[in-house]
Amino acid sequence: MSKYLDLGITEIHKLYQEKRLTPTQLLDEVFARLEKNKELNCFITLRKEEAYQEALKLEQEEVKGLLWGIPIAIKDNIVTKNVRTTCASKMLENFIPIYDATVIEKIQAAGMIMIGKTNMDEFAMGSTSETSYFKAPKNPWKTTHITGGSSGGSAAAVASRIVPLALGSDTGGSIRQPASYTGLVGMKPTYGRVSRYGLVAFASSLDQIGPMTRTVYENALLLNVLAGHDVKDLTSSSREVEDYTSLIGKEIQGLKIGIPAYLVSEIVSPEVKTVFNHVVEILKAHGNTVELVDIDYLKQAVPLYQIIAMGEASSNLARFDGIRYGYRTAKEGTVDELYERTRSEGFGEEVKRRIMVGSSLLSSQKAKLYYDKALSIRDDMQASFLKAFEKYDLLLAPTTTTAAYPLGESLQDPLKSFMDDVLVIPANMAGLPALNLPAGFNQEHLPIGVQIIGAPFEEKKIYQLASFLEQELSLDLEGGKCND
Amino acid sequence: MEKLSVDEVKHIAHLARIYLTDEEVETYRVSLAKLFQSMDEIHAVKGYNEDILIAPWTEEAALREDQVGEMLTQEEVLQNAPSKNGKFIEVPVMLSE
Repeated sequence: MSKYLDLGITEIHKLYQEKRLTPTQLLDEVFARLEKNKELNCFITLRKEEAYQEALKLEQEEVKGLLWGIPIAIKDNIVTKNVRTTCASKMLENFIPIYDATVIEKIQAAGMIMIGKTNMDEFAMGSTSETSYFKAPKNPWKTTHITGGSSGGSAAAVASRIVPLALGSDTGGSIRQPASYTGLVGMKPTYGRVSRYGLVAFASSLDQIGPMTRTVYENALLLNVLAGHDVKDLTSSSREVEDYTSLIGKEIQGLKIGIPAYLVSEIVSPEVKTVFNHVVEILKAHGNTVELVDIDYLKQAVPLYQIIAMGEASSNLARFDGIRYGYRTAKEGTVDELYERTRSEGFGEEVKRRIMVGSSLLSSQKAKLYYDKALSIRDDMQASFLKAFEKYDLLLAPTTTTAAYPLGESLQDPLKSFMDDVLVIPANMAGLPALNLPAGFNQEHLPIGVQIIGAPFEEKKIYQLASFLEQELSLDLEGGKCND
Repeated sequence: MEKLSVDEVKHIAHLARIYLTDEEVETYRVSLAKLFQSMDEIHAVKGYNEDILIAPWTEEAALREDQVGEMLTQEEVLQNAPSKNGKFIEVPVMLSE
């Protein structure tokens, strides 16, 4: 059997145009790979029959854009009409949405084929995907290791070459961090660049949907489809959508790049530093200026995130009460008991912990002491970032402090999952676009990434630098490929 | 390691409308204390600006025309209700005698 899934999207598109390949044939390969690699546990719900029906329908049409007929996996916190959407929670185990998220309408309009819904941390709360009610996905580079999270199933599905593309969501690094652990390109767009309509809310002021792909070019192509204003999302930007591929391949020279000093401090492991320093050397060798820059309050980014994300989460997840949809306890009792029992039985340990912390933080005096203060510091942090962008074109940092580590290692420590995201949280706080690019490997040959952070709506510039580095580094990223 | 008291955990669980078993209360006494301790780090920050940033979004709120748009059918709305009776969602007794 030919391995069409190992080809790039442009090559698949060419085969489609020349009628040497059909979407149905590509789906045969997707589902064959899925069957042989079930142990990766990438998906919670598959959509096999419907996917084939859509493929047949597409085959009656002319081949359209580059993403036409391309299979895609969707994180299971993005609602899909008539396709179960669980958020990897018992609370929504049987939830069938009655509408599509805006991003789903967009990928369908582009002729893409949704294969299924991917595994994740429950309600996106975690950084290893181990809080999933459906058990953790495994890292295709080393199946004893975490995929990262919360978009771990999407990362594993793309890194293993089961699907070419996936959607993730990023509240505090949930696209970039698993992308780093699995050798993928993952973009968290500017806050407001992609509609959140239909994304199950975790922390509304931080959440963004974004693309997870094998290459920079394919990532930009997918963002071209996702980006845009949406009347159904008040926080989506009316700013014009650019062609995010337009600067890819263009010369990079004379750029001014800042490295936020705290993000390369002693919190980063030596193996990550080695990879990062190599990237810096490449940039310098090509006539770019790279220097350290101080951004205010990065040291407090984790507690800031804890306060803001858990505060927002406690409010957003109040809707799961066992009344209108979702799980309901079988125990008899008053309506108050129904709420408490339903939430006790329907949510997992981590989600309960975060809702409790958030509820406490927003109550009485604590709201001023913690939440209001966090919002003030956040304002200062954003101002400090924006000031840095007056001097620098882009910022550069490692994405994670280490490479992927063994499953189970972080489960006993409630702080570990937050600390794993220490380098990726600041971009969410300030609403900035940021991308993970695979940049090298550790001694175990596990991927390590770097993060390129841009000023608001500078995704195009991020892709330009990322594609330049991708070409210079020219890494062999086949290590995550699954069994055929 | 510092722990929250049993009553503190139960109070917080009540605020969150989450029932906890005695065993869970014990577990959360430690892990909640750890998280609160971590969040206390923001108290080390002095001299910050009083302006707040609720969301990193800069555009003015745009209101649409007040026109009837797409609507869900009653059947759709009730589709995921865990318990229903005809066109109503069923809940336990809310007021006792």
